[in-house]
Amino acid sequence: MTEVEELRARKPEAWRLKPAFDARILLLSFLAFCGLALSAHRLELGRLFSDVGSFLLASAGLKDGSSIGDGMSGLVTGMFPIVVDERTPIEYVDDLEVRLVRPFAHLEQVATAETVLDPDTLEIVTRETAKTFLVEPWGYLGLVLLKMLETVEIAIWATLFAIAASLPLSILCARNYSPHILVYAAGRTFVSFLRSVPELISALFLVLAFGFGAIPGIVALAIHSTGFLAKFFAEDIESADVRPQEAIAVTGAGRLAVLRLAVIPQVLPSFTGLSLYILDRNVRMATVIGLVGAGGIGQELKGRFDMFQYDRVGTLLLVIFLTVLLLDFLAARIRRVLI
Amino acid sequence: MPAKRSRSIASQASAGRLLSCDGLVKSYGDGPPALGGVSFVMEAPQFTVLLGSSGSGKTTLLRAIAGLVPLDQGEIHVTGVALTRANLKTVRRRLGMVHQEFGLTDRLTAAQNVLAGAAPDLSWSRLLFQAYPTPLRQRACSLLAEVGLTEIQANRKARELSGGQRQRVGIARALIGQPQLFLADEPVANLDPQTASGILALLREAVTVHGVGVLCSLHQTDLACQYADRIIGLQGGRLVFDGPPADLSPAATAALFAGAGAAAVPTSTAA
Repeated sequence: MTEVEELRARKPEAWRLKPAFDARILLLSFLAFCGLALSAHRLELGRLFSDVGSFLLASAGLKDGSSIGDGMSGLVTGMFPIVVDERTPIEYVDDLEVRLVRPFAHLEQVATAETVLDPDTLEIVTRETAKTFLVEPWGYLGLVLLKMLETVEIAIWATLFAIAASLPLSILCARNYSPHILVYAAGRTFVSFLRSVPELISALFLVLAFGFGAIPGIVALAIHSTGFLAKFFAEDIESADVRPQEAIAVTGAGRLAVLRLAVIPQVLPSFTGLSLYILDRNVRMATVIGLVGAGGIGQELKGRFDMFQYDRVGTLLLVIFLTVLLLDFLAARIRRVLI
Repeated sequence: MPAKRSRSIASQASAGRLLSCDGLVKSYGDGPPALGGVSFVMEAPQFTVLLGSSGSGKTTLLRAIAGLVPLDQGEIHVTGVALTRANLKTVRRRLGMVHQEFGLTDRLTAAQNVLAGAAPDLSWSRLLFQAYPTPLRQRACSLLAEVGLTEIQANRKARELSGGQRQRVGIARALIGQPQLFLADEPVANLDPQTASGILALLREAVTVHGVGVLCSLHQTDLACQYADRIIGLQGGRLVFDGPPADLSPAATAALFAGAGAAAVPTSTAA
């Protein structure tokens, strides 16, 4: 009796059905558990839990002091109140006439008491000096908003460049439309390479090439986004419904015509969604890559953080948070309209 | 060498014929052949129905004629032109195909779908912006009206249309390329009986009004007898009946659909 005959002869009551969990899954779960346990030990994850625990206990008043609390308290107390105004001693202001006529700008005299050593008497004396400041009540907030705008602009340009580059690339990287298998392989490799370079790292090098400012930021983000978009566009093209494609091909149309009439209309909503996601992500990444000098609000944040001006860091963080929130909302609305 | 010679003789013989299929063989994997040597000829524009159960090879045959399935053996000539890799586009321009699942691009409007059928005659830049010449647009509109769609429906997205309307759009799309042979792969399988009759009547009209030969696969004997000029019965990839509907006796029908299940599932004796 062959195996097939044996199976056919078996009564329905005796049929063996596949178990939902078999030994292979159990073994894999066990191996995964062992791996994670080993990794947790190597990374001192125990300390994470004990630190968070003691922080929670300290917050509840059951314990005085915790390493997290001590580390953060200086920063948090320094952040509030946040700074929205700009006060500059007038001796540092070159264009006083211009800046004074701006709304709300005014001069303020502040008497400061200075304790100095009198060089003649060699005594310590307290000297009253009057210092004049140019006060722009919304000055710093204005600067931060400008930097934020620059960041958003960096993200928009990077996304536009990425879309423009990834549309043709995605056709080369789609198995069913690539002109040749070698082109396909080369395209896929190239796209993976683009995606494998983190923006922060490429920005670091691009700052050397282009100098500080927005340009290295745009290039760094565009490179990474192209890698991402081309991969996902290509996958959309590959998984598009083949029936309309066959129907157009059967009329005698060429591959480009099929691509235009039966693939692009199908994948356009997905392309739009991906592009919006990339724009959203690029805004967030553009703030980060500013840290290495690639323009925008990140560059300002890094500078203020390094100078321990946590009150200004607070303003920056608040503006970033509100912008990301706003963009999330806008992206959701655009998506609803377009798709 | 002798094979090549016989091929050229066959193409001479098929010069005046709409469609000639000669010894078509096709197998998928190790299974029984989907087509086991099918030969037939369509001379004049007629409504020819391929009748058979699921797995009888109807779809494979139609897809082979459209050049969508490479054959293991056999030759196909459409209006005297051999279906080869080099001639693929020439042959396809003489064909119009209607699909079981309509094959419309869901996000284009009905009219845009019909115009897409004229793609081979248009330049790439026109296609890119879907800027179709006015005479072609007018032709698309009159075809849409002919298959029974209104102006409002012509501007609806294909996915917003009912199944019957979609198939009507599919027929208009196939007609816009002015084909000589229509291939319809189970065009009414997904439609209710009443809508199905309407669609088959439209395909008949393609024969009578446009002078297009129709080769339509069906599994409903009653519909086949009602609309066909000629019925070709397929069973297990073999041609088992060929003649006018009147010749299709109940016994022949029973034989055509007998053991449909057995043919689809390989038995241990067959293996």
